[in-house]
Amino acid sequence: MDPEAERNARESLDLAFHMSNILVTGLDRHTLSILVALSERGFNPEALAAVVKELRREPPSSAAPPPSSRPKP
Amino acid sequence: MADQLQTLDLVKELVYRLVVPSDRNSAEQNQPPDLEKPLKYAIRILNSRMTPSVAADESAIVESIKRLLVNEGKSSDALTFADMYMKLSMKSGAGTIKNRWAVLYLLKVISEDCRKEKSSHLYTSTSSNGLPLLTNETDNLRFFKSQKTIDSKGKGGILMVSKDPESIREIAIREFADLVTEETEVPEDALVRDVLFACQGIDGKYVKFDSHLDGYALSDSLIVPRATRIMVRKLCELGWLFRKVKNYIFESMEQFPAEDVGTVGQAFCAALQDELSDYYKLLAVLETQSLHPIPLVSEMASSGHSGNYLSLRRLAVWFAEPMVRMRLMAVLVDSCRVLRGGAMAGAIHVHAQHGDPMIQDFMRRLLRRVCSPLFEMVRSWVLEGELDDIFAEFFVVGQPVKAESLWQEGYRLHGGMLPNFISQSLAQRILRTGKSINFLRVCCEDQGWAEAASEAAAAAGTTTMRGGLGYGETDALETLVSEAAKRIDKHLMDVIFKRYKFREHCLAIKRYLLLGQGDFVQYLMDIVGPELSEPANTISSFKLAGLLESAIRSSNAQYDDPDVLDRLRVKMMPHGAGDRGWDVFSLEYSARVPLNTIFTESIMARYLRIFNFLWKLRRVEHALIGAWKIMKPNFISSALFATKDGSSVMSQFVWISRRCQVLWNEMNHFVTNLQYYIMFEVLEVSWSQFLEEMDAARDLDDLLAAHEKYLNAILEKSLLGEASLHISKVLFVLFDLILRFHGLVDRLYEGIRELQSSLWKNDSRGRSKSKLKSNNEVSKSGQLIGEGRKALTKFAGEFRKKMGEELDKIAKDYSSSLGRFLAELPVQLNVDLKFLLFRLDFTEFYSRLWAM
Repeated sequence: MDPEAERNARESLDLAFHMSNILVTGLDRHTLSILVALSERGFNPEALAAVVKELRREPPSSAAPPPSSRPKP
Repeated sequence: MADQLQTLDLVKELVYRLVVPSDRNSAEQNQPPDLEKPLKYAIRILNSRMTPSVAADESAIVESIKRLLVNEGKSSDALTFADMYMKLSMKSGAGTIKNRWAVLYLLKVISEDCRKEKSSHLYTSTSSNGLPLLTNETDNLRFFKSQKTIDSKGKGGILMVSKDPESIREIAIREFADLVTEETEVPEDALVRDVLFACQGIDGKYVKFDSHLDGYALSDSLIVPRATRIMVRKLCELGWLFRKVKNYIFESMEQFPAEDVGTVGQAFCAALQDELSDYYKLLAVLETQSLHPIPLVSEMASSGHSGNYLSLRRLAVWFAEPMVRMRLMAVLVDSCRVLRGGAMAGAIHVHAQHGDPMIQDFMRRLLRRVCSPLFEMVRSWVLEGELDDIFAEFFVVGQPVKAESLWQEGYRLHGGMLPNFISQSLAQRILRTGKSINFLRVCCEDQGWAEAASEAAAAAGTTTMRGGLGYGETDALETLVSEAAKRIDKHLMDVIFKRYKFREHCLAIKRYLLLGQGDFVQYLMDIVGPELSEPANTISSFKLAGLLESAIRSSNAQYDDPDVLDRLRVKMMPHGAGDRGWDVFSLEYSARVPLNTIFTESIMARYLRIFNFLWKLRRVEHALIGAWKIMKPNFISSALFATKDGSSVMSQFVWISRRCQVLWNEMNHFVTNLQYYIMFEVLEVSWSQFLEEMDAARDLDDLLAAHEKYLNAILEKSLLGEASLHISKVLFVLFDLILRFHGLVDRLYEGIRELQSSLWKNDSRGRSKSKLKSNNEVSKSGQLIGEGRKALTKFAGEFRKKMGEELDKIAKDYSSSLGRFLAELPVQLNVDLKFLLFRLDFTEFYSRLWAM
């Protein structure tokens, strides 16, 4: 990876992070970078968002795992 | 494969970071197996076919984010965001984010999720004690779902009400729906169907016609909310109106052949019927719609299908326009019930004066239909002179009359049938045009008008076929009428002037009836004079006719058109006991069809009055001339002055004869000036004015008016009018005095002549008492001759005295009458009469005389 690309990537990530902060998503920089990477790989943003939402809620209800009969949206 | 692995690693990392964000340090070692489940879950989600329902539109998503931020009151953030997005989009080359849309979308969804989570937590905490608690989970799920539907509709996705969770609304709505169903016995769709029935004039199951209320209503026994009841009543107004209109049409059609509804009425019904068929179409559409079930409000909001169902409220919206129309039709039906023909069209036209373009349109359509028979009548009347008006609807009414009064009385305007969109003047023109055609056809037996009419139609751009005109094309109508009027009037004038020689006849009347032909009048006066002195009942009109004939033949009148001379007749007026021929003799000019339209009987009677006056004036003049013939210096009068010895007898007459001369001069002055005035100031001036107007006249009415004016002017100025009744009496007294004077002069000079001859005999026969007087002289003076000079002198004295007295009386009467006449003259309104006064009293002799 040449330094030019690296700089570009960093700056882009900076901007994305900034945006994410403005929108109060509560994502940290690392998580965001992963999400960006995944979406660059063609992952569906809707699905990614669902993952983030579902898994984030895990901690408070970690004792009770999500019901398996969750319908597919 | 490596790529796959890398992805898996990334996912793992993500799950890890998400699940253990807070106590990362402790969890790192303690709960690695815990990650297993979330990871699987995450992979399942990622592998699912969940797709964003929004098309990948970068700018749209940016816009929606900005809007979101602005809505939350963070406009500065929105600006920063926009700025950063600019920067991001400007980046290019390796390492930059390629799928910017995906990243933005991701951020937005996560952000929204976070926000909702927060608010829902807040909500549950505050409301958990009052309202049924919903599990957080389902709640969230619902949010998720609803969010999606909203997104699927609005591009870019706008957040639905975030503070009012939909479930609450939904529950409230459901409860409301339950409440409503409890309260109503009748389902709404049944009511809708019933209302639709009612609007076709049919009783429904629940909505029935109530004759007491005079309208459709829900029966009282049904339990329905008050609002619904009112709504149904309002909607059913349409049904009531429909019934009214329908009944009217039905009744009119029913009685059509029997009673006279009239063509306009039929057209009105047909137009209404057409409007109703439109209305039926609407009702049919509505009826199919009413078959769809009415969804609940909640279903409407969530299911998203707007649906073609029909509720009472929707019906109210649907009915808004037909209601206006139907109301209008009902009003028209009401106002036209008793009207027919033109009056009906006029009444409808009044309603067309409306500001609402819809109503205007509607009325225009209706009126076009309604007026078509009327305009058709106008067209055929103006172009063909046909009055095909079986039901008496047209504003021109014809009545059977004799040919000569066809123009004046044959046709007239019927004010009541004149619709007010046709102006009075236009109506007059229409009337006249058709009348002209009929006049040409009936009186003139002329066929040339047909050409003129078709020419007019071509010029106006309308065909002579039916249905060329319509309501709202008043301009076209006006053009047609004026074109037709122009041509037909011109044709009529041509016929009257060229074929029937109106001008020539007028001239002939002026010449013979108004005594314009001097030599003829003089000659006639001379030869009929002796005849007319006889009592009226002994005069034969045949003899007079013969005399008239010879008068014509011996004057310049013989060169006139034989047709004109044929029409000149002698007429004896009905006479009383003491009338002389002078009083009853008159000339007559017979005008035949079609000219008797102009020279009607009443007009001819006025001509007769003028003739009588002029005839009298001529007679007076004639008498004066006769008097002059006797009085003029001749043998007798010269002898009067020449006698010396007879001076005692004859000289007495010198004085009286001189007085006669003076009086004669005075009378002559008066009569000459009056004659001059009548002939030149009255007849000729009026005639020349009449000629001008005759040339300018464009139709028969103008011509009639001009002729009327001409006659009136003559009557007025000749002191024959109503206003100068008094002065004309004085004038006739003057005439009588002059005639008496003539008689007096006649007798006086006769007497003088006899006296003279007897004196002369006495002288020549040497006072012989021989009775050798001429046997044929049977006068009393002749008998006196024998009684000698003394007796003669005595007789002459008596005679002179008698004559002198009579002359005094005449002179006195004359001067007082003339005084009255001159005093009355300035009072007359006519300006020309002032000139007569001026002429008579030129030297101010009279005015000074009376001033003394």
